[in-house]
Amino acid sequence: MAVTDSRLLDLILVFAPLSLFSFGGGQSLFAEIQHQSVGIHHWITDAQFTDLYAISKATPGPATLMVALIGWQVNGFQGALAAALAMYGPSSIAGYFAVRWWLRRPPSLLTRAVEQGLAPIAVGLSFAGVLTVIQSSDPGPLQLATTAVAGLLLYYTRVGIYWLIGSVTVIYAALVMT
Amino acid sequence: MPDDHDSAENSERRTRNYFPPTVRLRDLAALFVRLGASNFGGGNRAWVHREVVERRGWLTEEQFLSGYTIGTILPGSNPVNLALYIGLRLCGGIGAACAVVGMIAPAFALILTSGYFYRQFGAVGPVHFILGGITAAAVGASLSVSVKMARRIPVNAVSVGLAVGSFVAVGILRWPLIPVVLALMPVGIAAAFLRERKRGRDR
Repeated sequence: MAVTDSRLLDLILVFAPLSLFSFGGGQSLFAEIQHQSVGIHHWITDAQFTDLYAISKATPGPATLMVALIGWQVNGFQGALAAALAMYGPSSIAGYFAVRWWLRRPPSLLTRAVEQGLAPIAVGLSFAGVLTVIQSSDPGPLQLATTAVAGLLLYYTRVGIYWLIGSVTVIYAALVMT
Repeated sequence: MPDDHDSAENSERRTRNYFPPTVRLRDLAALFVRLGASNFGGGNRAWVHREVVERRGWLTEEQFLSGYTIGTILPGSNPVNLALYIGLRLCGGIGAACAVVGMIAPAFALILTSGYFYRQFGAVGPVHFILGGITAAAVGASLSVSVKMARRIPVNAVSVGLAVGSFVAVGILRWPLIPVVLALMPVGIAAAFLRERKRGRDR
């Protein structure tokens, strides 16, 4: 039980602070999630990280919900629950007070400055997250081509993400059968 | 862009004079459970808008946009923050809690189910191969979103420096995220504050 407790505590101590620093959406967090759970705590391997990332992208919900899967690897259902609560609890509590404050105040120089000042950092972190996932998934020519095609389709067309993931699954399944 | 500030104020005034319809907590919770189960990689904002603004008229366009912006700035997942804003606005604190849990719980159940199948079959090569394809597509999706985000930031030395700096520090040097953000945040906010104030004076 003591072992279980310390594992749950580790999960919370890793993900709760990240919860409060995920600006610009969860994308910015993947570099740190990978660093902590593969590099520092050895909860999962690089290959598992890539798989769990893919699963979280292929199921509904915020992509950062992959921490629930990492939590499960560490300590079953309790681990998954602890990781999810740590990931969304602190940011939601902070968000509650911030939204309440915001609803009571008119837009000002300061609110605009906060919005504009954080945007570039979010952009940098977002690209860092992309780089981390590319490095840990170690893509071959086929995967790089998939990335390029998917990126271009999503950037220039209004194609839905369900459709895209479905097509990729079918194509890759066909390739692996032959 | 001399009209930006005026229009923001006008929309705020409209927002404040708008009397929201009474929304039952039950309906709010039911809607967000449904949205939570269909929230797929980034398309969520469109669904929430369609259900909450277009179909039910629970919020005005301005209120929705304001909530979306707040959700983006605040730490945490954007769809979760948007749910929090809508819940709080329509049904108070308990509404916020219901909307957030509604947004996360179905996805939590689904991802654990997927994880179960992964652990049953994940060691097999083909599954890893297919998941690798999904990862590759998801990387493309993330790149596309990142580029769209990058195009929205103002082009000046400080903004570009902050974007490149945070990318290099976290992505390449692998420095821990939190100290990097803590160090860069005040610089970004201060620079934006001075820029906005100058623009206000020049006007």
